[in-house]
Amino acid sequence: MDKAVATLDKGTTCSSWNYCGQRLATGSTDGTLSIFDSPDPSSSSFTCNLKTKVHAGAILKVVWVPPEFGDAVACICSDGSLLLWEEIVEDAQPLQWKLCKSFESTSTQVLDVQFGVSSTSLKLVAAYSDGHVKVYELLDPLILKNWQLQASCISASISWNPQKGENQGSSFVLGFNSDTPQLNSSKVWEFDEAHNRWLPVAELALPEDRSDEVYAVAWALNIGRPYEVIAVATQKGIAIWHVGANPELDGRLSVEKVALLSGHGGEVWQMEWDMSGTTLATTGSDGMVRLWQSNLNGVWDEQAAFQPTA
Amino acid sequence: MSGENQGGAIVPYSEEAKKPVVYPLRHGLKPPISRLGISWSRGNSLRVTVFRQPSEDSENEVGGKAVEVRLDGRDGEISDAQWRRIAYGSVSPFALLQSRKNSFASLSKISSTTSPFDAEWWEYVLEYSKDISSLLGNQTSTTQSLIEDPKEVLKKDPEPSNLKAAWELMESFYADKLSQAWLPERLVDWLADYDSLFSSTQETVHSKLVDFQKDLVSLQVIEDEPKYWEVMSSALAVGWLDIVVKLLRLHGSYQLDQLGNRETENGLVEAVAVLISKMPRMRPELEAGKLGECFKAKPDFMKAWEKWRAQIAKLECSTFWIQCAHRQTQEGLRNMLQIMLGNTNNLCTLTCHWMELYIAHFLYIRPFTVGLESMYGLAQKCIQLKPMAASHRLMGLLIGILGENIEVVLAECSKGFGPWMVTHAIEVLTAGSHQADTLLHEERDNLGGISMEELHRLVYAQVLSSHPLTWQIAPIYLTSCIKQGMGLLEMLLYKQPVDHNQLLLKNLEICRLYELDSVSSNIMKHGKKGSGVYWLQQARDEARLNRIAQQMFDSVGRSISDENFRQWEGLIQLLGSEPKTAGGLEFLHNYRDFKKSLLQIRDGKTTDAARQAVESLISLMKNPCTPQRFWLPLLHDSLKLLNWEERPLLNVLQTNLLLNKLQELSIARLRPDFIEADLPPHALSSVRLALATNLGRTTLEEQ
Repeated sequence: MDKAVATLDKGTTCSSWNYCGQRLATGSTDGTLSIFDSPDPSSSSFTCNLKTKVHAGAILKVVWVPPEFGDAVACICSDGSLLLWEEIVEDAQPLQWKLCKSFESTSTQVLDVQFGVSSTSLKLVAAYSDGHVKVYELLDPLILKNWQLQASCISASISWNPQKGENQGSSFVLGFNSDTPQLNSSKVWEFDEAHNRWLPVAELALPEDRSDEVYAVAWALNIGRPYEVIAVATQKGIAIWHVGANPELDGRLSVEKVALLSGHGGEVWQMEWDMSGTTLATTGSDGMVRLWQSNLNGVWDEQAAFQPTA
Repeated sequence: MSGENQGGAIVPYSEEAKKPVVYPLRHGLKPPISRLGISWSRGNSLRVTVFRQPSEDSENEVGGKAVEVRLDGRDGEISDAQWRRIAYGSVSPFALLQSRKNSFASLSKISSTTSPFDAEWWEYVLEYSKDISSLLGNQTSTTQSLIEDPKEVLKKDPEPSNLKAAWELMESFYADKLSQAWLPERLVDWLADYDSLFSSTQETVHSKLVDFQKDLVSLQVIEDEPKYWEVMSSALAVGWLDIVVKLLRLHGSYQLDQLGNRETENGLVEAVAVLISKMPRMRPELEAGKLGECFKAKPDFMKAWEKWRAQIAKLECSTFWIQCAHRQTQEGLRNMLQIMLGNTNNLCTLTCHWMELYIAHFLYIRPFTVGLESMYGLAQKCIQLKPMAASHRLMGLLIGILGENIEVVLAECSKGFGPWMVTHAIEVLTAGSHQADTLLHEERDNLGGISMEELHRLVYAQVLSSHPLTWQIAPIYLTSCIKQGMGLLEMLLYKQPVDHNQLLLKNLEICRLYELDSVSSNIMKHGKKGSGVYWLQQARDEARLNRIAQQMFDSVGRSISDENFRQWEGLIQLLGSEPKTAGGLEFLHNYRDFKKSLLQIRDGKTTDAARQAVESLISLMKNPCTPQRFWLPLLHDSLKLLNWEERPLLNVLQTNLLLNKLQELSIARLRPDFIEADLPPHALSSVRLALATNLGRTTLEEQ
């Protein structure tokens, strides 16, 4: 049932698969970025074909740029900087990875970065340790160097609405894990084309839970449901929210908390929805991988768990 | 490898919160593990990255592993290749049935008469069922030996599969209208084919026979062996009449040298054999080689049944038994007569599990049971009398069917046989049961507005997507999902890797088939540059194409090596000559032609090439498409032409044109937004000088 598909070097701390699961990027404590490939789609063994030192310090997180914009990876480094490395071909030289953008490393640390694709452009949301969130927009679809700061808002888990349709506006959900209670609760942000700014349109927390620190958020792909499904993990557990698609009179979206799952008992590290948006996979500090689904009556429950063993 | 996953249900059914199953995830790393990462890859595959705590110890330790876990809840019984064969084979029958369904639906909208299509429809469903069933049998062929071994009572049939057994159950109860009238006998046949499947968890009549078969070779006096009689009685109890008679005929009394002494004994054995082979059966026909007399109508059957039982009773009371010298034969045969008379104690003792007892009931106690309700009641009784050692997925399924509980049937299918089974069985269920039809087609809010039928198809499509060799058949199922099918199909296509052209072309073909233009144009933006341009063209992505054209401009006016020129030229070619594309492209085409001809010029000789080059230059300079900032680079490029030794290549008119352009350029350069071309500082003056010289020379020539 399980098989190893890749072996990682000593010191690797983070990894990310690309959109089709054919390439794996990993970052390590000594600042090395490694890219793993497999020879063809049906093979399931991946070997490292590239290793390059991108930074003096450790890499904390790697995130792939959406495929429409080429093969590129964003690296969050321990000194707080954000680097964008791209695989390009120059003149007669073979494919190689190069640094194409370094976002200024201020005194604050980048906590999380996520990319969102709308019909017209690529956007990047970066959450900083001082509670700031910056949204960047890619000016030139072919050159990943030129990013424009689109907005700076206060309100570092980010999850974009993965919808790929032509008519979709951009929206993402963001939650902080901080000691400033007002910052924490997860909010859904939507881009208002008319006024060219980002607005919060929903808050995914009950009044008594608003100050809870958010460990992770994940927005499920909607393949035809009349509502959106978003998972929010706090110390109280993993909450599943249904968010209405159409705004009410006050411009905000209706929300309903449909389940509170026990979660991992401690910190939740990562949450991922499957391709149909029906199964949620989570990992946490209890060292387990858990799968959650709702049954035919809409009741959410844990379906299976995986315990890593040697 | 990890332990067996007994086909865990992908769609959870139960209402009670049950404890989730914990599976081990083997990664082979030395502890401590510091972190886990997760990512969904194709379909239902989950990739878990396991990170080790970076430590100071030995050099060669790996830092972590990426492990792939498949969650498709597949049967361990079937190999990967076999599963793929089944998956591929199921596509046509499924698609055919859907298209027939659609035509019927449109027809019924037109005609108001209650459809005469019902009869036809049943035929289609049965055809579908048979097509699927034929996929499920094992491929091993039976070797037919020419000489029939009299001691081989049990034929070495190809090993039956649970999947086929389950399918046949559902076919009998839901799809095969003809067998509805004689369901009990249908079950007798079913058990004969599939009793061996239960042998893994407990003793069965089949396993008893198999064991005895082994001993048969070494037995001398078969009728002395108590197992001989037991096995025969058991086989008789479940209706395997041909095997019983064959075994009977192995009785010692048939041997030629024995016939003289054991006449009475042999007579009795033969009498029983004959009675067995004439047993009345409530069914239209029997397979070749099987024993019994068939009756279609109940009255005829009843008459024959009474007569037969009378004959047995008569034999039972006969005086010949006293004359039978061999004790075991006497006891054994009389036991068998008791079975035929329907003695419940005997039947209970000789059968091994409730299903066998159930069959025995149908054969000898209640041979004309009708109606699912009474069948269900009888089943419950038998379960109480002879429960199975361990629960078996086939039994759970049968109970659900007998109990007319569709939810149980679906749950058992899902849990025991996986998404393939549920998706394909639903067609049969909805045809055969009103309850199923309603339940499965109802749109449910808590599923996001889809029906259960659609839900299962979506789940199955996801399972198909988990493997690179089966993802292409997922679209067939997705297109029959009216609400969420297209959404999932788009996602599925989007996530396919596009680095490999074959795959990409297949992907695009699917998009074309299902008219998913937006998906295909998005997909085509991926890929490396050269092919990238081609795909961008296909996607008609003007924004990006313009940008590429702009990039190409940077090469204008610079001297580039031959190699690079060819590459550059190639790209221009790809960019195509569509009139709709950016005007910049037209310029690039002209520029390419010009550059090409420049390269072909041999020094000194006034060949056609030189003249060609001049023509190109002039047309370029005249062309409004040519951006002004390229005028000077163009002219600078053409210095060779302008300074032609042999004779001036430009005539007066042409030279004047160029001089005027140069003048325009000088004025334009004064504007603040003018972009200076990257040329040496004396470029302008060189060009001016060359043109002036040229003018002088041509004027002289033309005079």
